Amino acid sequence: MRRRLTRLFGLRAKVLLVALVLLAIPWVGYDYVKEMERLLRAGQEQNLVATARAIATALHDRPQLLQLRAPRPGAEGADNPASSDEGGAQRVVTGTRAASEEIGQIIKGLGRAESRIWAVDRKLNLLAIAGSLKQESAAARAAEPEGALAALTRLLRPISAHLLKRPSADFDDALPESAIAGGREVASALGGVPAWRWRNTPDGRAVVLSAAHPIWSGEEVVGAVVVEETTNAILTLSNRALEQLVTVTLVAFAIGALTLLAFASRLSVRLRRLRNEAEAAIDSQGRVHQLIAGSRAQDEIGDLSRSFSTVLARLAQYNAYLEKMAGRLSHELRTPIAVVRSSLDNLKLQELPEDARVYMERANDGLKRLDTILTRMTEATRLEQTLRQSERERFDARLVLEGCVNGYASAYPQRRFELRLAPEPAPLEGSPELFAQMLDKLAANAVDFSRGEEPVRVALEQQKEQLQISMSNAGPPLPVDMQGRLFQSMVSVRAQTGGAPHLGLGLYIARLIAEFHGGRISAANRDDGSGVIFTLRFPLRTVQG
Amino acid sequence: MARRIAIVEDDPAIRANYADAFRKHGYEVSAYASRIEAMAALAPRLPDLALLDIGLGDEPDGGFALCRELRALSPTLPILFLTARDSDFDAVSGLRMGADDYLTKDVSLPHLLARVSALFRRADLLAQPGHTEDIIERGKLKLDMKRFAVAWDGKPVDLTLTEIWLVHALAKFPGHVKNRDQLMAEAHIVVDDSTITSHIKRIRKKFSAVDPGFASIDSLYGMGYRWKS
Repeated sequence: MRRRLTRLFGLRAKVLLVALVLLAIPWVGYDYVKEMERLLRAGQEQNLVATARAIATALHDRPQLLQLRAPRPGAEGADNPASSDEGGAQRVVTGTRAASEEIGQIIKGLGRAESRIWAVDRKLNLLAIAGSLKQESAAARAAEPEGALAALTRLLRPISAHLLKRPSADFDDALPESAIAGGREVASALGGVPAWRWRNTPDGRAVVLSAAHPIWSGEEVVGAVVVEETTNAILTLSNRALEQLVTVTLVAFAIGALTLLAFASRLSVRLRRLRNEAEAAIDSQGRVHQLIAGSRAQDEIGDLSRSFSTVLARLAQYNAYLEKMAGRLSHELRTPIAVVRSSLDNLKLQELPEDARVYMERANDGLKRLDTILTRMTEATRLEQTLRQSERERFDARLVLEGCVNGYASAYPQRRFELRLAPEPAPLEGSPELFAQMLDKLAANAVDFSRGEEPVRVALEQQKEQLQISMSNAGPPLPVDMQGRLFQSMVSVRAQTGGAPHLGLGLYIARLIAEFHGGRISAANRDDGSGVIFTLRFPLRTVQG
Repeated sequence: MARRIAIVEDDPAIRANYADAFRKHGYEVSAYASRIEAMAALAPRLPDLALLDIGLGDEPDGGFALCRELRALSPTLPILFLTARDSDFDAVSGLRMGADDYLTKDVSLPHLLARVSALFRRADLLAQPGHTEDIIERGKLKLDMKRFAVAWDGKPVDLTLTEIWLVHALAKFPGHVKNRDQLMAEAHIVVDDSTITSHIKRIRKKFSAVDPGFASIDSLYGMGYRWKS
């Protein structure tokens, strides 16, 4: 669970989080594009106002054109454009044909593509109209750029289409009465001040910019010229810029994120390998292995690995020191004990008063116990030497086990043993004597901890390539924290009571011998907690030739 | 004339204790603390038996060197190592240097005295051949417990005192299983199980050197050893 959490909040996730900083790029880009759009719109406003002024200038001081267009009350009611969807074109018909045609020609001459120009008199009667809003602009017609980026942009268009409002050529370009009568810019122009206004087309699909300029006749405003243009051209340009921005951002983000991800993955793989090795460096039996991961890398992880190795090496030294301590101690103790023993032996040769003999006996008893301790202490050291020099021979572990368990009947008359053997022989390579010594240690341990009437159960089983010997006794379960350390030198779970001294070397010796035979030893509580099972596992040496 | 025993031991208390014990048993004892001192005193007049420690003061292997020098002076002088070093390696090297036996310091004085007198007996009897008492014959094995001589199929087998006692314990009652404790008692030693194992191994090896087909010592795992006739 903890590990899964670690993975969830691992380096990779964090680096990806850091990669989100890259998202600032599209934000900044978007801002920039929007700013550009605003600028373009301002330019368009100036542009249109200038166009309106130019046309108005052409119409200044030509009152005859406008006066000819004197309104006739009947006509006004008949062609109320608000009731008609057909728009301005119809209204032009109602004007005096000759005058409108002249204005229309002037306007047409001054007009440009993609804009619509119309003129009204002071009564808001439409005098002339020219051009169309639906002309495709030069910007939109311009060929799209070529290249890998552009190709990618085209590929991404379906996605970016969702984000961007695409200019539509299919909008209602009718000129409603409201646009003429209600337009602030027209009212302002008729008041003598040029103005412009943004408005939506009636169907809301496009935005139209209309600029109005008054037509002067002397000191009097006689009409207004209105120039209209959609923002489609700007929108197209800004959309294109935004599309490119999206593409560039995506590419940059992908490259950046992938690079970071790869880097983080590499880091986390190395760290994880280091962690696994560090965890496995000290095995359940307390031995220390060297770390390999990153040990030669020239970065912080290499440093970490090396310092781990150093710490582990020190730990291993300390461990070795502890394991050797028993042997060294016994060696150091031997000389003073020899002094005591020889002195006591000398004393014995003399005539001693009766009461002195009691103390003599006690001193001898104490000495005997010391001897036992010393012998046990040296046993492990001596065994290590023996293992180093031992020659290996092939033997049948089944026979050894059988012999040993038979022997235990006489060695431990108070405790029954129950033996279950696999029928086939169990060939091992090693030393049968040492193997027997290992079994002795386990048997002594099992007998010491046995409670009740239940016999010590010994079983030999053969699985495919493995030989398994288990020895199980009823009795108190192992303390949880001791299960791994049980096989270390000088570790004992026995309560310190009188009698024979226990140094916690028996199981250590058993472990050394098991390892000498290529096997492993483990201890576990019975499932129901009624006792303890010691298990030995050896790889089988299949008979060759 | 009293027999002369030379004790070379760097620990003054042990040296004095052993010297006292041997004197009480009628031996003439001269004790030395270092190899130089011992060699200077012993070379002109060899003792009847030498009891050596291995580590002598500054010389960790001084006893080995002394043993070699003494052996060079006399091939028959009984030499006994008595040391705190109990590794197999030291025991084997000591015996290779020509010592007659190798004991660790946890041997008790009575055991030590028994061993010393056995060594003297052997030395004496080797000097005057012809005795036939106390000889055990088991098939090809001929065990002379007076002389402490062992022969297999007529050929002598060079065993140490401990080894002879072990063979004797086993061969006395062929077919009887002797466990390790019994063997230890018979050989007057207190050692751990694996030492007995290595003693038995060495004995087997020595017999095998004379007769590759030797298989008279049977291991009964978990119980002990027995002599197969």
